[in-house]
Amino acid sequence: MTTTWLAPESLDEVLELRGEHGDATVIAGGTFVGILMNQGFLEPQALLSLGHVPGLDGIEVVEGELRLGAMATHRAVERSAAVREGWPVLARAFSLVASPRIRNQATVGGVLADADYASDPPAVLAALGAQVLLRSVHGERRVGIDELIRGHYETCIAADELLVEVRVPPGPERAVYRKFRSRSSEDRPCVAVAAVRGEDGLRVVVGAVSGRPQELPEVCANGGGPAAVGRGYAEAIEPISDSRGSAAYRRRVIAVEVRRALEELG
Amino acid sequence: MMLELTVNERPAALECEPDEMILHVLRRAGLSSVRETCGIGVCGACTVLLDGEPVSGCLLLAGQAAGRELTTVEGLPAEHPVPMAFDAEHAFQCGWCTPGMVLTAKRLLEENADPSDEEIAAGLGGNLCRCGCYLKIRAAVRRAAA
Amino acid sequence: MRLVGYAGDAAADGMWHAAFVRSPHAHARVLSVDASALPAGAVALLPEDTVGLGRYGCQLKDQDVLANPARFVGDIVAAVAAQTPAAARAAAAALRVSYAELPAVFDPLAAVAEGAPLLHPESGGSAGDAVSIGVRPLAGTNVCHRFRLLHGEAERGFEDADVTVEETFRTAGAQHAPMEPHATLAQWTADGRLELTTGTQTPFNLRDDLAGVFRIEPERVRVVAPPMGGSFGAKTFTRLEAVVACLARKAGRPVKAVLDRSEEFVTLGRHPAAVRVRVGATRDGTLVAKQLDCWADTGAYADCGPGVASKMGYAGIGPYRIPHVRVDALAVYTNLPPNGAFRGYGATQSVWASERAMDMLAERLGMSPLELRLRNLLRDGDRFATGETMHDVHFEECLRAAAAAVGYEQDPRGKGLCVLLKGMQTPSRAAIAVERTPVGYTIRSASCEMGQGVRDSLRLQGAALLGCEPGQIEVPDPDTDSSPFDTRTTSSRSTYMMGRALDEAVADLSANGGERGYGEIANEGGLDPDTGQGIASTHWHQGAAGAAVSVDEETGALTVERLHAAVYAGRVVDRAGAELQNEGSMIMGLGTALFESVEHAGGQITNANLSDYCLPALGDLPGELTHELIEREGAEPHGLGETALPPVPAAIGNALSSLGLHVTELPMTPERVAEAAA
Repeated sequence: MTTTWLAPESLDEVLELRGEHGDATVIAGGTFVGILMNQGFLEPQALLSLGHVPGLDGIEVVEGELRLGAMATHRAVERSAAVREGWPVLARAFSLVASPRIRNQATVGGVLADADYASDPPAVLAALGAQVLLRSVHGERRVGIDELIRGHYETCIAADELLVEVRVPPGPERAVYRKFRSRSSEDRPCVAVAAVRGEDGLRVVVGAVSGRPQELPEVCANGGGPAAVGRGYAEAIEPISDSRGSAAYRRRVIAVEVRRALEELG
Repeated sequence: MMLELTVNERPAALECEPDEMILHVLRRAGLSSVRETCGIGVCGACTVLLDGEPVSGCLLLAGQAAGRELTTVEGLPAEHPVPMAFDAEHAFQCGWCTPGMVLTAKRLLEENADPSDEEIAAGLGGNLCRCGCYLKIRAAVRRAAA
Repeated sequence: MRLVGYAGDAAADGMWHAAFVRSPHAHARVLSVDASALPAGAVALLPEDTVGLGRYGCQLKDQDVLANPARFVGDIVAAVAAQTPAAARAAAAALRVSYAELPAVFDPLAAVAEGAPLLHPESGGSAGDAVSIGVRPLAGTNVCHRFRLLHGEAERGFEDADVTVEETFRTAGAQHAPMEPHATLAQWTADGRLELTTGTQTPFNLRDDLAGVFRIEPERVRVVAPPMGGSFGAKTFTRLEAVVACLARKAGRPVKAVLDRSEEFVTLGRHPAAVRVRVGATRDGTLVAKQLDCWADTGAYADCGPGVASKMGYAGIGPYRIPHVRVDALAVYTNLPPNGAFRGYGATQSVWASERAMDMLAERLGMSPLELRLRNLLRDGDRFATGETMHDVHFEECLRAAAAAVGYEQDPRGKGLCVLLKGMQTPSRAAIAVERTPVGYTIRSASCEMGQGVRDSLRLQGAALLGCEPGQIEVPDPDTDSSPFDTRTTSSRSTYMMGRALDEAVADLSANGGERGYGEIANEGGLDPDTGQGIASTHWHQGAAGAAVSVDEETGALTVERLHAAVYAGRVVDRAGAELQNEGSMIMGLGTALFESVEHAGGQITNANLSDYCLPALGDLPGELTHELIEREGAEPHGLGETALPPVPAAIGNALSSLGLHVTELPMTPERVAEAAA
């Protein structure tokens, strides 16, 4: 049984195909799908490549709002003058992902649709209040990161929908992203913390410790200073255990890294 | 399916399966410098340049390379400063990771003619060398930059 | 740039590809293998095809071509060959195997306890032993080898000690993780000879094992060993070769196997170990007694576990004068993938324990760890605990150099030292042939290239002896049909042993017309496995390391600021090659020290990929990583392939210990360091 290769040349065609071939695997950058296929976890009947669809890889600022096309690569975001100027924490988060090779290939849409718990961009996008646009032949809807990512590698994207764009509100006054690795310099993170001080106050999102980025508005609202917020996050989160650290160790590091992020935030 | 692209500056038409990664297509075409090693894009031994930028050959589906330009070390001229610097510094032992290192270093130096040690580590961090040649690899990159 | 051809690049006309059916159970009898769904055009190797074949194993013949019972998750119970790798994988998935599970054991201490399930109720006696050690299995247990060393009277010796410390240290399992996976191509000739092209460090051992499997004369087996993309001990003895040869015979065509990375994790690893050290000294710091108990987890098959356990045992004594020593080192079976030769060969695990214990002892004595060591180091003419007399000794020089490099005497806080001795394969033989050619010479040697530069070394040594340029000397791939015998390419012995054989061969060539010459050299000795007495090593690998670290106690994150290794090289043959061996060993040591660990649950390896199992990357280099190669006029070249690895974890561990952070288990993860700080 040979896999079908679909390479549509317009977004409308993509959405029609999404409607017809709900089981076709979407290829944006293809890094995550490639890993699944190489490990034998995925044997797609059809591959739906977005590589020939124009207009999906834009990075632009419209009325102060950052719009990232789903096919914009990590590398393009990392290097974009507009992103570095208006949302430096986001350029930094994208620049910390894996290696230059992966960043040349992996996309903004892909990293969100994959919902890999250890990825850097989702936690930062959540802290910045980003929303994603999901489009189908029936129309379009907007969801926040919190609603988008449901659990380990699980999103709310329907079988006939495509994530086409990410929109980020005007940049906050201060933002910090910390990535704590417990092993090699190339390891996936053990604990990651995005801290943002903006119009709606303080937002702290902890990534890499659970299936979903962890944001606890009540803890931030309670205040009490960096150490108190750190303790609050550490007490409330049920972290995973894996080769990078046990749940107990992650708890310890969450307290320290959240406190340090807030100290850095000022 | 028939994949049409440019490989090492020459037009190529390569028969492949839609679910094949470009790594296997290139190896079948005789380019043995592209090596299957980890299967998950973390080691860099399958690095190829896609329109001049390093990507993991084990994660790039054949169809994604259609109409693009691919470069492997077989396509570098003999006097290219980067492989020459690796030779001069003896920045290799078993040689398995060397093609990936060379291509990545080539691109790093095109973007940044005088990288600091931190920039070299960030640029080449995704290329693993189990033989542990990192000191000499770093020296080779500095040498090629000079 | 010149590209190397590896075993995986080899091809033969009509070649098919292999795939393996592996047990999902840690311990299970194979009740049946149903091949009825095998796709047309694929060939299956089933249990009934292997009836009558001989068992194999380099020290104990405890392995079968197809396992029954399966003794670890991943043990090969059937195999298939098909036209493409994808077709072979599909064919393997079509075989249906039924199992009856058996109780399993996953820890060496549990495996030696009363009532533990036995993996090999009848332990195979060693025959045609390739390592020349007597193997001592303990019948009716999971101990496949017990090494004992008795020197003086240890129990009584402790009575003379003013201070005694005792501690148990652990080392996790590790993966060699060469970048190139295992690759083997097997074919049978029309007249029934078996020919293999395979990545191996041990062509003659392999030839002998395979001859035993197929019950043919060794001369009916040919092993060709192309350069390897790294090995570090992973590609030793019989790995895939027996099963692939069987597949080739059944298929009637050449068959090639190349493992994927997840299969690498169930092929061979490094022995996890527990080492209990008890060491005593008088008030002035003179060592009087030492006891070492080692449990090396050799996994489901012995492989060279007995040799590793023995080396672990005597390396753990350390380069010291100690009048009373008892060592008991056990190689123990567990239902985990087999462990075997790994750069350092047991020394890493026992040096970690022994040198950490020295710092504990120094602390109790109120002495500097440097002073304690200097006081007791072996000197020329001293007897080691094996009874052999030490010569060409440079431990003090290495240790002082390591200490100076990290400014230890000026300020020892945050700094740690380690000094070690490691043996070279004794006894062993190396032979070499030289032939004149129209453009220079050909050197035929069975020394296998894995990146260490043995060919360059032979060219350099040959050029100097023959009066030509290195580029005029051809060194073909090892080939058991045409390369003279060599014990194997392990133990950092090749530059030295082959170099000496080459001296003889060139002398022979010069004396006999200048066309061809042959040289053979042997080193004699060995240890009695029941007393540990004899000659462990005809010359010793000697080295030391110094580390300076800083710690973030809140997270346990450890930064190695400075790392230096001083290794006795005797005479350096190929400078760049020698430097790369030290650098490579140190970087591998960093991985062992800080984050490398094979993890398992219920017998399943849970981090079987290169993301969940972490290897050192360029960004992991310490602020300063330096080393030196100590040479002496007129000295013999000393092997460098391994010496700088074992001292790295111990030096870092001792640096932590100087800050009051006592970690006894490798790797020293931030989690363990944070616990030590709490």
